[in-house]
Amino acid sequence: MTSMPARPLPPQRLPLVRPRDCVLGGVSVAVARHLGWSVSATRWVFAGLGFVGGAGVLMYLWLWATVPVEEATDAASDAPVRHRIPLRWLVVGLSLLAAIWLLLAWGGSGGVVAGLLFTLAVLVAAAAVFAPVGVRLWHELITERTKRVREEERAEMAAHLHDSVLQTLALIQNRAGPSSEVARIARAQERELREWLYAGTGSADADLATDLKDYATALELDYPVRVELVAVGTTAERSSGELAAACREAMLNAARHAGGEVSVYIEGSVSAVDVFIRDRGPGFDPARVPEDRLGVRESIIGRMRRAGGSATVRRGAGGVGTEVHLHFEPGRKEES
Amino acid sequence: MTGKPISVVVVDDHSIFRSGLKADLDASVSVVAEAGDVDSAVAAVVENRPDVVLLDVHLPGGSGGGGAEVIRRSSGQAPRTRFLALSVSDSAEDVVGVIRAGARGYITKGSSGAEVSRAVATVAGGDAVFSPRLAGFVLDAFGAAAGEQASTDEELDRLSAREREVMRLIARGYSYKEVAAELYISIKTVETHVSAVLRKLQLSSRHELTAWALERRLL
Repeated sequence: MTSMPARPLPPQRLPLVRPRDCVLGGVSVAVARHLGWSVSATRWVFAGLGFVGGAGVLMYLWLWATVPVEEATDAASDAPVRHRIPLRWLVVGLSLLAAIWLLLAWGGSGGVVAGLLFTLAVLVAAAAVFAPVGVRLWHELITERTKRVREEERAEMAAHLHDSVLQTLALIQNRAGPSSEVARIARAQERELREWLYAGTGSADADLATDLKDYATALELDYPVRVELVAVGTTAERSSGELAAACREAMLNAARHAGGEVSVYIEGSVSAVDVFIRDRGPGFDPARVPEDRLGVRESIIGRMRRAGGSATVRRGAGGVGTEVHLHFEPGRKEES
Repeated sequence: MTGKPISVVVVDDHSIFRSGLKADLDASVSVVAEAGDVDSAVAAVVENRPDVVLLDVHLPGGSGGGGAEVIRRSSGQAPRTRFLALSVSDSAEDVVGVIRAGARGYITKGSSGAEVSRAVATVAGGDAVFSPRLAGFVLDAFGAAAGEQASTDEELDRLSAREREVMRLIARGYSYKEVAAELYISIKTVETHVSAVLRKLQLSSRHELTAWALERRLL
């Protein structure tokens, strides 16, 4: 063996584990496999030692308690361990028999000792009946605890990253000015990290707000723009819908032509969805856009009209920038 | 708010952020003290009694209550001091929690020095600072978007039609001035509405707003 140290040693002995399908406790089989003995010989050894002051029995019980059960094979992972001899019912039956025998033999005249023995027998029976419930509860408790510990670890890590990395990214953005290259990259990183930290439990399907948020992140990488997105209420609107396409177009326009600060506000209610996209760029007059410029006319206004909604483009408040308002009522699509 | 600069205490557990912020703030603001955890923040606020405290939401120390704990422990002894929450996190529970503890507004740490200075001036003037995102929280929390407005009689638990309009415009990225122009009202009126909303947000027992925020897992 020493002549080939690089190669891992072949397993000399099978691991000491109890089979999932066993006669009594699986201890004999486990020991026999581990030591390479025959199973029946092992059983006889245990039985023989049992007569030496009960050593075999004690040893058996001790091994039963300490040797782990074999890992489940893939398919039947949840299948319980099968015992051919239902030890539990054996114990229940024996204890009840003992109890009855005590009752019949001594009746009411046995005194304290008989009474105690009787109680003991009944208790053992009851304990044997309820043992599996207890074991299951115990296992659930352990699993629960492990899960909680993992949660805590994750939360701790999130808090740490939050305190260090996110703060630094915020500072970088702060110092670099809103439309610089460095700030843009820092902001995109910050969003990505935050998504990862906090969205772990969220749903993966893209609703309108999630989709637009992703799109905003992409825009911030490509253009000198900062998108502030606020979503209120809930909508059934999906990322594949016409409304989402129109929103993306409007956001792209804002990023491309205006840059700087862009606000996106989504308000969803039971009957309708409103989206406002606002920039602070030079602004433009929709009436004077030439026919061949398809952007606003087709991709936003025309698309919304065809889908049964409406779109208005106007100057932003105070004459600064442009605001696009998209209104959509999902329920009205069929009628129009 | 011209003349005497507004005295400010900056509370944040990262010295690098504090110095960065200090360098960015303009001349209308003078930083009188800094603190890095809950206990030193309370001490600094009580000792200096500044006009405004720029307060990080997440702070170590104390009994783990962060920024909200600083407000609760020091506002009694510095009644004229106003708190402006600063946060990198946009999670609703943090923001709503610190607002309910008594902060007069909330801005993100990504804001520029000029924005922070302006917000400080607004808060020092007794008004509330609502970012678009905070306005969004409010609209969501009060069910204003879903047209749920009429379902409750409690005055504190709902927004008036005008307040809702103001909140919606702020959520759309309008400044107070632009909101005023849009609604044909004075800026002062906008500020009154915003302060009223802030008060409702602080006092309303509606669904226990913090629990609401948790359960929705909002941002």
